[in-house]
Amino acid sequence: MSTTLDLAAEHIARQVASTIEPALAMVEGWRGVLETELSGPFAGALGGSPDARAETLDPVIEALVGAELEREGALITGAGFVAAPGFLADAQWHLAWWLSSANTFGAAGAASLRRLDAVSDPDSEQFRDYTTLEWWRVPERTGRRHLTGPYVDYLCTDDYTVTITTPVFADGEMIGVVGADAYVARLEGELLPVLREWSGSGTLVNASGRILASNDSRRATGALLRIEGLAGALAPLHDERSTDPVQLPGGEFVVPCGDTTLALVAESPRPAGG
Amino acid sequence: MPHAAGRTDATRAVVFAPLEGAGRAELVEQRITDAIVAGVLRDGERLPSESELARSLGVAVVTAREALVSLRENGLVHTRRGRDGGSFVTFDPDASTRLVTSRLRSLSRVELRDLGLHYAAIAGMAAEVAADRASEDDLASLIDIDARADLATAGGARRAVGRFHLEVAAISQSPRLVQEELRLQAEAGPLLWMCLREEDARDRSRIVRLDVIEAVRDVQPEHARRATAEHFAGAVQWLIDEKTRIDLAAHPAGGEASVADPAEGPPA
Repeated sequence: MSTTLDLAAEHIARQVASTIEPALAMVEGWRGVLETELSGPFAGALGGSPDARAETLDPVIEALVGAELEREGALITGAGFVAAPGFLADAQWHLAWWLSSANTFGAAGAASLRRLDAVSDPDSEQFRDYTTLEWWRVPERTGRRHLTGPYVDYLCTDDYTVTITTPVFADGEMIGVVGADAYVARLEGELLPVLREWSGSGTLVNASGRILASNDSRRATGALLRIEGLAGALAPLHDERSTDPVQLPGGEFVVPCGDTTLALVAESPRPAGG
Repeated sequence: MPHAAGRTDATRAVVFAPLEGAGRAELVEQRITDAIVAGVLRDGERLPSESELARSLGVAVVTAREALVSLRENGLVHTRRGRDGGSFVTFDPDASTRLVTSRLRSLSRVELRDLGLHYAAIAGMAAEVAADRASEDDLASLIDIDARADLATAGGARRAVGRFHLEVAAISQSPRLVQEELRLQAEAGPLLWMCLREEDARDRSRIVRLDVIEAVRDVQPEHARRATAEHFAGAVQWLIDEKTRIDLAAHPAGGEASVADPAEGPPA
């Protein structure tokens, strides 16, 4: 019995993964393009300058992420490249991040694809050292892709967001991150139909146990799911390691969703008539 | 008639209240003045042009121009002509102190208490929810903000209070609470936290911060809310006492105070 349930939960976890993994794959694709552009025999092939300069790199990034941001029905609402401080010859701190027309933050009048207006002057009171933020810090530490959030992105868009970032390397050094944002409200619309296929209570959490979506209306997005043994079961995801499904003392299954670092916490359906 | 009756009409009235019209220039001026006093706009920073300002605030160019003229007259902005010309922020700590003091004098006790209550409702609720929703990383970031706080100056202490409240709002996971916190900080931060000019109040702001951090660590939402709300109540009480002191100094008791300054009755 429990094996059947386990398989059903794994099936739903795979569907969750397949909802989000195209965005992850796209970010990986951008990383590949940028690594080729920024070092090796084809450096500067797209931007026309063999030196890494914001001036020549920005149009490359815009061309790379712009088409996806403007695609009808795109899951992501922001995307771009953030340079390691000092990497670009002409900009000490540099965010090359674009927002889709679905993102209305700071937009006056007709919304369209536009660049995020970031404070890159370290003397400004609004300047924030982005290398201290989770979406930079974790990929820097692990050398791997990271999913940040759900969180209120008060430095960029003031919205409730999930951010995917992956480190970009040139000659063995991390020279920045490339990534994408998705609104939690938008993800909810994609994820709820998948979670409803589980007949019990099914909740999607990040590696900290924070709820991203749940088929149980009492489980609020943003709250921490407090279930005995859950923190331990999520610990491998927190360290960006893959793990097998586990069953908690209360009977819930914790099933990692592919490479997303999210996990499905599936509570057993109540017995009929119970 | 119960107070709730007629509510529908009142909310409808807000919906259809005129957006354009008299007072828009004053609103623009107040918004930018607040931002300069709060340090959001820095000394020497170039403001957007009249037309950019008009576009981003959604007002007529003539309204933006009118606001810039007033800001210039108040010495908060200076204008340079030529190719690198434009309007630039002039931040002078003395002028800023005078502005905050005149704002304090212009507001009644009723308005000060109402402002404090509004802000406390936002920050208190954020603290309550944050105490339930903080992860280990969130707790670490609160501790870090406290560790970096500069308690030696009023400005440093105020920035620490602001950063802490903003982080708490973010930890509550509510974009609306974050936006409202940011708006209130820019509008009312320097006035509300005027008490931080005094060392006692700066020390107290740290004690409150540590108390809230402990409540977050122990998942005590009610404690986090109460500690936050009481901090605001204390700041408002200080403001009202300070206002009374300034008013009495300007108009010694028994003089023309109540006539000349209708915003304020005699001290209780």
